[in-house]
Amino acid sequence: MNEGLAIETNVLTKQYGQVRAVNQLSLRVPREQITAFLGRNGAGKSTTIKMLLAITSPSSGTGWVLGKIIRDASQNREMRRDVAYVVEDKQVYSYMTVEQMIRFARSFYADWQNEKESRLLKQFQLPLRQKVKALSKGMRTKLALLLALARQPQLLILDEPSEGLDPVSIEELLQEIINAASSGVTVFFSSHQISEVERIADRVCIIDHGHLRVDTSLDAIRREYRRITLSFDGNAPPISPSFPGVQQIKTSGRQIALLARESADAVVELARDMHPTSVEVTPVDLREVFLETVKES
Amino acid sequence: MLWYKAWLETRARFVASLSTLTLFCGLFVHHAVGMMRPEWKADFNRLLYITQEFMAIMWILSAVLLGMGGIVHEKTVGTSSFTLSFPVSRTRLQVIRLGVGLLEAVILGVVPWMVICAISWGAQMPIRVTHVGLYPWLLVSGGLVYYAMAVLVSSLVEGEYSAPAIAIGLVFLSTIILDSWFRRLDVWRFATGDFYIDKKTFELAGDFPWLGTLVCTGAATLMLVASTRAVQCRDF
Repeated sequence: MNEGLAIETNVLTKQYGQVRAVNQLSLRVPREQITAFLGRNGAGKSTTIKMLLAITSPSSGTGWVLGKIIRDASQNREMRRDVAYVVEDKQVYSYMTVEQMIRFARSFYADWQNEKESRLLKQFQLPLRQKVKALSKGMRTKLALLLALARQPQLLILDEPSEGLDPVSIEELLQEIINAASSGVTVFFSSHQISEVERIADRVCIIDHGHLRVDTSLDAIRREYRRITLSFDGNAPPISPSFPGVQQIKTSGRQIALLARESADAVVELARDMHPTSVEVTPVDLREVFLETVKES
Repeated sequence: MLWYKAWLETRARFVASLSTLTLFCGLFVHHAVGMMRPEWKADFNRLLYITQEFMAIMWILSAVLLGMGGIVHEKTVGTSSFTLSFPVSRTRLQVIRLGVGLLEAVILGVVPWMVICAISWGAQMPIRVTHVGLYPWLLVSGGLVYYAMAVLVSSLVEGEYSAPAIAIGLVFLSTIILDSWFRRLDVWRFATGDFYIDKKTFELAGDFPWLGTLVCTGAATLMLVASTRAVQCRDF
Protein backbone atom coordinates (compact mmCIF):
# COMPACT_ATOMS: atom_id res chain seq x y z
CA MET A 1 0.00 0.00 0.00
CA ASN A 2 1.38 3.37 -1.08
CA GLU A 3 1.05 5.88 1.79
CA GLY A 4 0.27 8.70 -0.63
CA LEU A 5 -2.86 6.94 -1.80
CA ALA A 6 -6.27 7.07 -0.16
CA ILE A 7 -7.56 4.21 -2.29
CA GLU A 8 -5.57 1.51 -4.02
CA THR A 9 -6.94 -1.66 -5.60
CA ASN A 10 -5.03 -4.58 -7.00
CA VAL A 11 -6.77 -6.55 -9.79
CA LEU A 12 -10.04 -6.22 -7.93
CA THR A 13 -12.74 -8.33 -9.56
CA LYS A 14 -16.43 -8.92 -8.92
CA GLN A 15 -18.25 -11.65 -10.77
CA TYR A 16 -22.04 -12.09 -10.70
CA GLY A 17 -22.68 -15.45 -12.37
CA GLN A 18 -21.37 -15.11 -15.92
CA VAL A 19 -21.09 -11.32 -15.70
CA ARG A 20 -17.92 -9.57 -14.56
CA ALA A 21 -19.16 -6.31 -13.06
CA VAL A 22 -15.60 -5.26 -12.17
CA ASN A 23 -12.70 -6.80 -14.03
CA GLN A 24 -9.18 -6.76 -12.58
CA LEU A 25 -9.43 -3.13 -11.54
CA SER A 26 -6.21 -1.53 -10.37
CA LEU A 27 -7.20 1.90 -9.18
CA ARG A 28 -5.09 4.56 -7.48
CA VAL A 29 -6.68 7.55 -5.80
CA PRO A 30 -4.22 10.06 -4.31
CA ARG A 31 -4.86 11.66 -0.92
CA GLU A 32 -6.17 15.21 -0.58
CA GLN A 33 -7.32 15.44 -4.18
CA ILE A 34 -10.69 15.32 -5.90
CA THR A 35 -10.93 12.25 -8.12
CA ALA A 36 -13.89 11.72 -10.42
CA PHE A 37 -14.99 8.20 -11.24
CA LEU A 38 -16.73 8.15 -14.60
CA GLY A 39 -18.49 5.42 -16.51
CA ARG A 40 -21.73 4.52 -18.19
CA ASN A 41 -24.64 3.01 -16.27
CA GLY A 42 -23.62 -0.51 -15.24
CA ALA A 43 -19.92 0.13 -15.88
CA GLY A 44 -19.03 -1.05 -12.37
CA LYS A 45 -18.69 2.24 -10.46
CA SER A 46 -21.12 1.49 -7.63
CA THR A 47 -19.92 -2.12 -7.35
CA THR A 48 -16.34 -0.87 -6.97
CA ILE A 49 -17.36 1.57 -4.24
CA LYS A 50 -19.35 -1.15 -2.45
CA MET A 51 -16.34 -3.47 -2.52
CA LEU A 52 -14.16 -0.74 -1.02
CA LEU A 53 -16.58 -0.42 1.90
CA ALA A 54 -17.18 -4.20 2.32
CA ILE A 55 -20.82 -3.83 1.38
CA THR A 56 -20.08 -6.35 -1.38
CA SER A 57 -17.22 -8.83 -1.20
CA PRO A 58 -14.73 -9.06 -4.09
CA SER A 59 -14.57 -12.30 -6.09
CA SER A 60 -10.80 -11.89 -6.32
CA GLY A 61 -8.10 -9.26 -5.91
CA THR A 62 -7.85 -6.87 -3.04
CA GLY A 63 -7.54 -3.23 -2.12
CA TRP A 64 -6.65 -0.72 0.58
CA VAL A 65 -8.56 2.32 1.76
CA LEU A 66 -6.70 4.76 4.02
CA GLY A 67 -4.09 2.06 4.54
CA LYS A 68 -6.59 -0.56 5.73
CA ILE A 69 -7.10 -3.73 3.76
CA ILE A 70 -10.67 -3.95 2.52
CA ARG A 71 -11.03 -7.73 2.79
CA ASP A 72 -10.30 -7.76 6.51
CA ALA A 73 -13.63 -7.19 8.30
CA SER A 74 -12.19 -5.50 11.39
CA GLN A 75 -9.76 -3.29 9.41
CA ASN A 76 -12.59 -2.32 7.08
CA ARG A 77 -14.79 -1.40 10.04
CA GLU A 78 -11.98 0.75 11.48
CA MET A 79 -11.50 2.40 8.11
CA ARG A 80 -15.21 3.29 7.87
CA ARG A 81 -14.77 5.56 10.91
CA ASP A 82 -12.82 7.88 8.63
CA VAL A 83 -14.90 7.48 5.48
CA ALA A 84 -18.18 9.16 4.64
CA TYR A 85 -20.27 7.65 1.88
CA VAL A 86 -23.21 9.27 0.13
CA VAL A 87 -25.09 6.46 -1.61
CA GLU A 88 -26.42 6.65 -5.13
CA ASP A 89 -30.16 7.00 -4.46
CA LYS A 90 -29.71 8.97 -1.19
CA GLN A 91 -32.13 6.72 0.68
CA VAL A 92 -32.05 7.15 4.44
CA TYR A 93 -34.44 5.81 7.07
CA SER A 94 -37.92 6.94 6.09
CA TYR A 95 -39.31 6.30 9.60
CA MET A 96 -36.97 8.82 11.26
CA THR A 97 -37.22 12.59 11.38
CA VAL A 98 -34.32 14.72 10.17
CA GLU A 99 -33.38 15.37 13.80
CA GLN A 100 -33.43 11.65 14.68
CA MET A 101 -31.37 10.88 11.60
CA ILE A 102 -28.70 13.39 12.63
CA ARG A 103 -28.70 12.13 16.22
CA PHE A 104 -28.34 8.56 14.99
CA ALA A 105 -25.40 9.32 12.65
CA ARG A 106 -23.69 11.55 15.24
CA SER A 107 -23.56 8.69 17.76
CA PHE A 108 -20.98 6.80 15.65
CA TYR A 109 -18.39 9.57 15.42
CA ALA A 110 -16.56 11.10 18.36
CA ASP A 111 -15.29 14.00 16.24
CA TRP A 112 -18.68 15.05 14.89
CA GLN A 113 -18.61 18.73 13.94
CA ASN A 114 -21.57 20.41 15.63
CA GLU A 115 -20.74 23.77 14.08
CA LYS A 116 -20.64 22.33 10.61
CA GLU A 117 -23.91 20.51 11.29
CA SER A 118 -25.60 23.79 12.31
CA ARG A 119 -24.16 25.66 9.34
CA LEU A 120 -25.29 23.02 6.84
CA LEU A 121 -28.72 22.73 8.45
CA LYS A 122 -29.18 26.45 7.96
CA GLN A 123 -27.69 26.47 4.47
CA PHE A 124 -29.74 23.49 3.26
CA GLN A 125 -32.88 24.66 5.11
CA LEU A 126 -33.61 21.16 6.37
CA PRO A 127 -36.73 20.89 8.57
CA LEU A 128 -35.60 19.11 11.75
CA ARG A 129 -39.00 17.81 12.79
CA GLN A 130 -40.03 16.49 9.39
CA LYS A 131 -40.01 12.75 8.67
CA VAL A 132 -37.49 11.70 6.07
CA LYS A 133 -40.23 10.04 4.00
CA ALA A 134 -41.85 13.45 3.55
CA LEU A 135 -38.67 15.02 2.12
CA SER A 136 -38.17 15.57 -1.61
CA LYS A 137 -35.28 13.78 -3.30
CA GLY A 138 -33.30 17.01 -3.34
CA MET A 139 -33.80 17.51 0.39
CA ARG A 140 -32.86 13.87 1.03
CA THR A 141 -29.67 14.42 -0.92
CA LYS A 142 -28.89 17.47 1.22
CA LEU A 143 -29.53 15.48 4.38
CA ALA A 144 -27.21 12.71 3.16
CA LEU A 145 -24.55 15.33 2.42
CA LEU A 146 -24.93 16.89 5.84
CA LEU A 147 -24.51 13.47 7.49
CA ALA A 148 -21.39 12.85 5.42
CA LEU A 149 -19.74 16.24 5.82
CA ALA A 150 -20.45 16.87 9.50
CA ARG A 151 -18.46 13.81 10.56
CA GLN A 152 -15.21 15.34 9.25
CA PRO A 153 -14.05 12.32 7.24
CA GLN A 154 -10.60 11.74 5.79
CA LEU A 155 -12.21 10.30 2.67
CA LEU A 156 -15.53 11.37 1.18
CA ILE A 157 -17.06 8.96 -1.32
CA LEU A 158 -20.01 10.30 -3.26
CA ASP A 159 -22.03 8.21 -5.70
CA GLU A 160 -23.66 10.59 -8.18
CA PRO A 161 -24.11 13.32 -5.58
CA SER A 162 -25.78 15.95 -7.76
CA GLU A 163 -28.51 13.66 -9.06
CA GLY A 164 -31.92 15.15 -8.26
CA LEU A 165 -30.59 18.54 -7.18
CA ASP A 166 -31.65 21.90 -8.61
CA PRO A 167 -28.95 24.15 -10.12
CA VAL A 168 -28.60 26.27 -6.96
CA SER A 169 -28.18 23.17 -4.80
CA ILE A 170 -25.66 21.72 -7.27
CA GLU A 171 -23.66 24.91 -6.93
CA GLU A 172 -23.75 24.62 -3.13
CA LEU A 173 -22.76 20.96 -3.34
CA LEU A 174 -19.77 21.64 -5.59
CA GLN A 175 -18.65 24.41 -3.28
CA GLU A 176 -18.90 22.08 -0.28
CA ILE A 177 -16.82 19.47 -2.11
CA ILE A 178 -14.17 22.06 -2.94
CA ASN A 179 -14.20 23.31 0.68
CA ALA A 180 -13.83 19.75 1.97
CA ALA A 181 -10.91 19.07 -0.36
CA SER A 182 -9.20 22.31 0.60
CA SER A 183 -9.35 21.26 4.25
CA GLY A 184 -7.50 18.04 3.44
CA VAL A 185 -10.35 15.64 2.73
CA THR A 186 -9.85 13.22 -0.16
CA VAL A 187 -12.91 13.21 -2.41
CA PHE A 188 -13.77 10.29 -4.68
CA PHE A 189 -17.01 10.78 -6.57
CA SER A 190 -18.87 9.18 -9.42
CA SER A 191 -20.90 11.34 -11.74
CA HIS A 192 -22.53 11.51 -15.15
CA GLN A 193 -22.24 15.29 -15.21
CA ILE A 194 -19.01 15.92 -17.13
CA SER A 195 -19.28 19.68 -16.69
CA GLU A 196 -19.22 19.27 -12.89
CA VAL A 197 -16.23 16.97 -13.11
CA GLU A 198 -14.35 19.45 -15.28
CA ARG A 199 -15.06 22.18 -12.75
CA ILE A 200 -13.87 20.48 -9.59
CA ALA A 201 -11.86 17.32 -10.26
CA ASP A 202 -8.08 17.04 -10.10
CA ARG A 203 -8.05 13.52 -11.49
CA VAL A 204 -10.33 11.38 -13.62
CA CYS A 205 -10.75 7.62 -13.74
CA ILE A 206 -12.93 6.18 -16.50
CA ILE A 207 -14.26 2.67 -16.10
CA ASP A 208 -16.06 0.71 -18.77
CA HIS A 209 -17.41 -2.85 -18.61
CA GLY A 210 -15.53 -3.25 -15.35
CA HIS A 211 -12.15 -2.26 -16.85
CA LEU A 212 -10.25 0.87 -15.94
CA ARG A 213 -9.75 2.71 -19.26
CA VAL A 214 -8.37 6.06 -18.19
CA ASP A 215 -6.60 7.11 -14.99
CA THR A 216 -5.05 10.53 -15.32
CA SER A 217 -5.22 14.12 -14.17
CA LEU A 218 -7.59 16.59 -15.76
CA ASP A 219 -4.59 18.76 -16.64
CA ALA A 220 -3.01 15.84 -18.46
CA ILE A 221 -6.18 15.34 -20.49
CA ARG A 222 -6.15 19.02 -21.48
CA ARG A 223 -2.43 18.89 -22.21
CA GLU A 224 -2.00 15.49 -23.87
CA TYR A 225 -5.14 14.60 -25.79
CA ARG A 226 -5.53 15.97 -29.31
CA ARG A 227 -7.98 15.38 -32.13
CA ILE A 228 -6.11 15.17 -35.48
CA THR A 229 -8.30 15.43 -38.53
CA LEU A 230 -6.79 14.43 -41.86
CA SER A 231 -8.61 15.49 -45.05
CA PHE A 232 -7.99 13.93 -48.47
CA ASP A 233 -8.93 14.77 -52.06
CA GLY A 234 -10.61 11.45 -52.62
CA ASN A 235 -11.74 8.74 -50.28
CA ALA A 236 -9.54 8.40 -47.21
CA PRO A 237 -6.88 5.71 -47.61
CA PRO A 238 -6.91 2.64 -45.37
CA ILE A 239 -5.10 3.11 -42.09
CA SER A 240 -3.61 0.59 -39.74
CA PRO A 241 -5.77 0.15 -36.62
CA SER A 242 -2.58 0.09 -34.56
CA PHE A 243 -1.35 3.49 -35.74
CA PRO A 244 1.37 4.41 -33.20
CA GLY A 245 0.37 6.92 -30.51
CA VAL A 246 -3.27 6.84 -31.52
CA GLN A 247 -6.00 5.75 -29.15
CA GLN A 248 -8.87 5.81 -31.59
CA ILE A 249 -9.36 6.07 -35.38
CA LYS A 250 -12.55 7.01 -37.21
CA THR A 251 -12.73 7.04 -41.02
CA SER A 252 -15.59 8.83 -42.71
CA GLY A 253 -15.60 9.60 -46.48
CA ARG A 254 -12.67 11.90 -47.20
CA GLN A 255 -11.65 12.33 -43.60
CA ILE A 256 -9.80 10.40 -40.96
CA ALA A 257 -10.13 11.53 -37.35
CA LEU A 258 -7.48 10.37 -34.90
CA LEU A 259 -7.53 10.69 -31.15
CA ALA A 260 -3.92 10.98 -30.09
CA ARG A 261 -2.52 10.88 -26.60
CA GLU A 262 0.83 12.33 -25.52
CA SER A 263 2.46 12.23 -28.96
CA ALA A 264 0.29 14.42 -31.20
CA ASP A 265 3.31 15.94 -32.99
CA ALA A 266 4.76 12.52 -33.81
CA VAL A 267 1.37 11.32 -35.02
CA VAL A 268 1.05 14.36 -37.28
CA GLU A 269 4.49 13.63 -38.72
CA LEU A 270 3.54 10.04 -39.44
CA ALA A 271 0.17 11.07 -40.84
CA ARG A 272 1.82 13.41 -43.34
CA ASP A 273 3.23 10.29 -45.06
CA MET A 274 -0.37 9.56 -46.11
CA HIS A 275 -0.33 12.87 -48.08
CA PRO A 276 -3.47 14.49 -46.70
CA THR A 277 -4.58 17.80 -48.20
CA SER A 278 -4.92 19.26 -44.75
CA VAL A 279 -4.13 18.35 -41.15
CA GLU A 280 -6.04 19.97 -38.33
CA VAL A 281 -5.03 19.54 -34.67
CA THR A 282 -7.57 20.56 -32.03
CA PRO A 283 -7.66 20.16 -28.26
CA VAL A 284 -10.03 17.61 -26.77
CA ASP A 285 -12.24 18.13 -23.74
CA LEU A 286 -13.18 15.55 -21.10
CA ARG A 287 -16.58 14.90 -22.68
CA GLU A 288 -14.91 13.81 -25.91
CA VAL A 289 -12.33 11.67 -24.14
CA PHE A 290 -15.09 10.03 -22.12
CA LEU A 291 -17.34 9.39 -25.12
CA GLU A 292 -14.50 8.05 -27.24
CA THR A 293 -13.27 5.84 -24.41
CA VAL A 294 -16.60 4.21 -23.70
CA LYS A 295 -17.61 4.03 -27.39
CA GLU A 296 -14.33 2.47 -28.32
CA SER A 297 -14.83 -0.49 -26.01
CA MET B 1 -28.21 4.22 18.92
CA LEU B 2 -28.65 0.98 17.00
CA TRP B 3 -31.19 0.00 19.67
CA TYR B 4 -33.01 3.23 18.98
CA LYS B 5 -33.01 2.56 15.23
CA ALA B 6 -34.34 -0.99 15.74
CA TRP B 7 -37.03 0.35 18.05
CA LEU B 8 -38.12 3.08 15.62
CA GLU B 9 -38.16 0.54 12.81
CA THR B 10 -40.50 -1.86 14.65
CA ARG B 11 -42.39 0.60 16.84
CA ALA B 12 -45.53 0.84 14.71
CA ARG B 13 -45.87 -2.94 14.33
CA PHE B 14 -45.18 -3.52 18.01
CA VAL B 15 -47.64 -0.91 19.30
CA ALA B 16 -50.37 -2.10 16.91
CA SER B 17 -49.86 -5.74 17.97
CA LEU B 18 -49.72 -4.91 21.67
CA SER B 19 -52.87 -2.78 21.49
CA THR B 20 -54.79 -5.46 19.62
CA LEU B 21 -53.71 -8.28 21.92
CA THR B 22 -54.30 -6.30 25.11
CA LEU B 23 -57.68 -5.02 23.99
CA PHE B 24 -58.76 -8.50 22.97
CA CYS B 25 -57.68 -10.05 26.28
CA GLY B 26 -59.10 -7.19 28.31
CA LEU B 27 -62.53 -7.41 26.68
CA PHE B 28 -62.61 -11.20 26.72
CA VAL B 29 -61.86 -11.48 30.38
CA HIS B 30 -63.92 -8.43 31.37
CA HIS B 31 -67.00 -10.27 30.14
CA ALA B 32 -65.94 -13.46 31.85
CA VAL B 33 -64.91 -12.39 35.36
CA GLY B 34 -68.37 -13.25 36.68
CA MET B 35 -67.62 -16.88 35.87
CA MET B 36 -64.90 -17.06 38.47
CA ARG B 37 -66.75 -18.80 41.23
CA PRO B 38 -65.51 -21.85 43.15
CA GLU B 39 -68.13 -24.12 41.62
CA TRP B 40 -67.25 -22.94 38.09
CA LYS B 41 -63.50 -23.29 38.46
CA ALA B 42 -63.04 -25.71 35.56
CA ASP B 43 -65.20 -23.53 33.29
CA PHE B 44 -63.12 -20.47 34.09
CA ASN B 45 -59.91 -22.37 33.60
CA ARG B 46 -61.24 -23.56 30.26
CA LEU B 47 -61.95 -19.94 29.34
CA LEU B 48 -58.37 -19.01 30.18
CA TYR B 49 -57.16 -21.89 28.02
CA ILE B 50 -59.33 -20.66 25.12
CA THR B 51 -57.94 -17.15 25.66
CA GLN B 52 -54.46 -18.62 25.38
CA GLU B 53 -55.36 -20.37 22.10
CA PHE B 54 -56.74 -17.18 20.56
CA MET B 55 -53.83 -15.20 21.89
CA ALA B 56 -51.35 -17.70 20.45
CA ILE B 57 -52.73 -17.13 16.94
CA MET B 58 -52.41 -13.36 17.24
CA TRP B 59 -49.08 -13.48 19.09
CA ILE B 60 -47.48 -15.71 16.46
CA LEU B 61 -48.71 -13.49 13.61
CA SER B 62 -47.37 -10.45 15.51
CA ALA B 63 -44.03 -12.18 16.15
CA VAL B 64 -43.73 -13.03 12.45
CA LEU B 65 -44.32 -9.35 11.61
CA LEU B 66 -41.74 -8.29 14.22
CA GLY B 67 -39.28 -10.75 12.67
CA MET B 68 -39.52 -8.94 9.34
CA GLY B 69 -37.15 -6.10 8.49
CA GLY B 70 -33.42 -6.00 9.02
CA ILE B 71 -30.63 -5.38 6.59
CA VAL B 72 -31.97 -7.61 3.78
CA HIS B 73 -35.24 -5.71 3.86
CA GLU B 74 -33.21 -2.51 3.81
CA LYS B 75 -31.74 -3.66 0.52
CA THR B 76 -35.26 -3.67 -0.91
CA VAL B 77 -35.98 -0.13 0.29
CA GLY B 78 -32.50 1.11 -0.67
CA THR B 79 -30.95 1.91 2.73
CA SER B 80 -28.66 -1.12 3.18
CA SER B 81 -25.57 0.60 1.72
CA PHE B 82 -26.13 3.59 3.99
CA THR B 83 -26.43 1.36 7.06
CA LEU B 84 -23.41 -0.76 6.16
CA SER B 85 -21.23 2.31 5.63
CA PHE B 86 -21.27 2.98 9.39
CA PRO B 87 -18.37 1.57 11.44
CA VAL B 88 -20.45 -1.30 12.79
CA SER B 89 -20.18 -5.03 12.15
CA ARG B 90 -23.05 -6.89 10.52
CA THR B 91 -23.15 -9.23 13.51
CA ARG B 92 -23.75 -6.32 15.87
CA LEU B 93 -26.46 -4.92 13.61
CA GLN B 94 -28.22 -8.27 13.54
CA VAL B 95 -27.79 -9.04 17.24
CA ILE B 96 -29.22 -5.68 18.29
CA ARG B 97 -32.13 -6.10 15.94
CA LEU B 98 -32.79 -9.55 17.40
CA GLY B 99 -32.46 -8.24 20.94
CA VAL B 100 -35.09 -5.57 20.37
CA GLY B 101 -37.38 -8.04 18.56
CA LEU B 102 -37.09 -10.63 21.34
CA LEU B 103 -37.81 -8.04 24.01
CA GLU B 104 -40.88 -6.89 22.12
CA ALA B 105 -42.02 -10.51 21.66
CA VAL B 106 -41.70 -11.17 25.39
CA ILE B 107 -43.66 -8.01 26.21
CA LEU B 108 -46.37 -9.07 23.74
CA GLY B 109 -46.64 -12.42 25.53
CA VAL B 110 -46.60 -11.07 29.08
CA VAL B 111 -48.54 -7.79 29.02
CA PRO B 112 -51.91 -9.22 27.90
CA TRP B 113 -51.79 -11.75 30.73
CA MET B 114 -50.90 -8.96 33.15
CA VAL B 115 -53.97 -7.11 31.89
CA ILE B 116 -56.07 -10.22 32.52
CA CYS B 117 -54.72 -10.44 36.08
CA ALA B 118 -55.33 -6.71 36.60
CA ILE B 119 -58.94 -6.89 35.38
CA SER B 120 -59.75 -9.86 37.56
CA TRP B 121 -58.09 -8.12 40.50
CA GLY B 122 -60.20 -5.00 39.77
CA ALA B 123 -63.30 -7.17 39.78
CA GLN B 124 -62.17 -8.47 43.20
CA MET B 125 -61.83 -11.98 41.88
CA PRO B 126 -58.06 -12.08 41.42
CA ILE B 127 -56.42 -14.73 39.28
CA ARG B 128 -53.19 -15.91 40.79
CA VAL B 129 -50.08 -15.36 38.70
CA THR B 130 -48.97 -18.87 39.61
CA HIS B 131 -52.17 -20.10 38.01
CA VAL B 132 -51.74 -18.43 34.59
CA GLY B 133 -47.97 -17.88 34.58
CA LEU B 134 -47.55 -21.07 32.59
CA TYR B 135 -49.35 -19.56 29.59
CA PRO B 136 -47.08 -16.62 28.74
CA TRP B 137 -44.09 -18.87 29.49
CA LEU B 138 -45.22 -21.48 26.95
CA LEU B 139 -46.40 -18.86 24.48
CA VAL B 140 -43.08 -17.00 24.44
CA SER B 141 -40.71 -19.98 24.62
CA GLY B 142 -42.63 -21.98 21.99
CA GLY B 143 -43.53 -18.97 19.90
CA LEU B 144 -39.87 -17.97 19.65
CA VAL B 145 -39.50 -20.79 17.13
CA TYR B 146 -41.91 -18.93 14.84
CA TYR B 147 -40.17 -15.60 15.52
CA ALA B 148 -36.79 -17.16 14.67
CA MET B 149 -38.30 -18.73 11.54
CA ALA B 150 -39.52 -15.30 10.45
CA VAL B 151 -36.11 -13.72 11.13
CA LEU B 152 -34.39 -16.46 9.12
CA VAL B 153 -36.77 -15.97 6.18
CA SER B 154 -36.28 -12.19 6.31
CA SER B 155 -32.48 -12.74 6.27
CA LEU B 156 -32.69 -14.92 3.17
CA VAL B 157 -35.55 -13.52 1.11
CA GLU B 158 -35.63 -10.05 -0.40
CA GLY B 159 -38.81 -8.20 -1.24
CA GLU B 160 -41.24 -6.09 0.68
CA TYR B 161 -44.08 -8.63 0.53
CA SER B 162 -42.46 -11.93 -0.40
CA ALA B 163 -40.63 -12.35 2.93
CA PRO B 164 -43.74 -11.95 5.17
CA ALA B 165 -45.82 -14.05 2.76
CA ILE B 166 -43.28 -16.90 2.85
CA ALA B 167 -42.86 -16.63 6.64
CA ILE B 168 -46.61 -16.81 7.31
CA GLY B 169 -46.91 -19.67 4.80
CA LEU B 170 -44.14 -21.53 6.62
CA VAL B 171 -45.87 -21.05 9.99
CA PHE B 172 -49.04 -22.69 8.69
CA LEU B 173 -47.21 -25.38 6.71
CA SER B 174 -44.93 -26.37 9.58
CA THR B 175 -47.90 -26.52 11.96
CA ILE B 176 -49.89 -28.74 9.60
CA ILE B 177 -46.95 -31.06 8.91
CA LEU B 178 -45.88 -31.37 12.55
CA ASP B 179 -49.45 -31.86 13.75
CA SER B 180 -50.10 -34.56 11.16
CA TRP B 181 -46.91 -36.59 11.33
CA PHE B 182 -44.72 -35.44 14.23
CA ARG B 183 -47.22 -34.48 16.87
CA ARG B 184 -44.68 -34.66 19.73
CA LEU B 185 -42.75 -31.88 17.98
CA ASP B 186 -45.78 -29.69 17.30
CA VAL B 187 -44.70 -26.24 18.48
CA TRP B 188 -48.22 -24.88 18.16
CA ARG B 189 -49.57 -27.40 20.70
CA PHE B 190 -46.60 -26.59 22.96
CA ALA B 191 -47.22 -22.84 22.77
CA THR B 192 -50.93 -23.08 23.53
CA GLY B 193 -50.29 -25.44 26.45
CA ASP B 194 -52.23 -28.30 24.84
CA PHE B 195 -49.52 -30.84 25.80
CA TYR B 196 -49.49 -29.88 29.47
CA ILE B 197 -53.06 -29.01 30.42
CA ASP B 198 -55.39 -31.52 31.98
CA LYS B 199 -58.53 -31.34 29.81
CA LYS B 200 -60.84 -31.87 32.79
CA THR B 201 -59.47 -29.31 35.25
CA PHE B 202 -57.65 -27.18 32.63
CA GLU B 203 -54.68 -26.88 34.99
CA LEU B 204 -51.08 -27.98 34.60
CA ALA B 205 -50.83 -31.75 34.60
CA GLY B 206 -47.51 -33.22 35.61
CA ASP B 207 -44.12 -31.53 35.80
CA PHE B 208 -43.24 -28.10 34.49
CA PRO B 209 -42.26 -28.44 30.78
CA TRP B 210 -38.56 -27.61 31.11
CA LEU B 211 -37.49 -30.03 28.38
CA GLY B 212 -39.96 -28.65 25.82
CA THR B 213 -38.84 -25.14 26.69
CA LEU B 214 -35.23 -26.12 26.20
CA VAL B 215 -35.89 -27.80 22.84
CA CYS B 216 -37.92 -24.83 21.53
CA THR B 217 -35.42 -22.17 22.62
CA GLY B 218 -32.59 -24.34 21.25
CA ALA B 219 -34.29 -24.60 17.85
CA ALA B 220 -34.98 -20.84 17.87
CA THR B 221 -31.35 -20.08 18.78
CA LEU B 222 -30.08 -22.25 15.91
CA MET B 223 -32.27 -20.41 13.42
CA LEU B 224 -31.21 -17.01 14.78
CA VAL B 225 -27.52 -17.98 14.51
CA ALA B 226 -28.14 -19.17 10.94
CA SER B 227 -29.82 -15.84 10.11
CA THR B 228 -26.82 -13.92 11.48
CA ARG B 229 -24.46 -16.06 9.42
CA ALA B 230 -26.60 -15.49 6.30
CA VAL B 231 -26.39 -11.71 6.80
CA GLN B 232 -22.61 -11.87 7.32
CA CYS B 233 -22.04 -13.70 4.03
CA ARG B 234 -24.42 -11.73 1.85
CA ASP B 235 -23.60 -9.08 -0.77
CA PHE B 236 -25.62 -5.86 -0.61
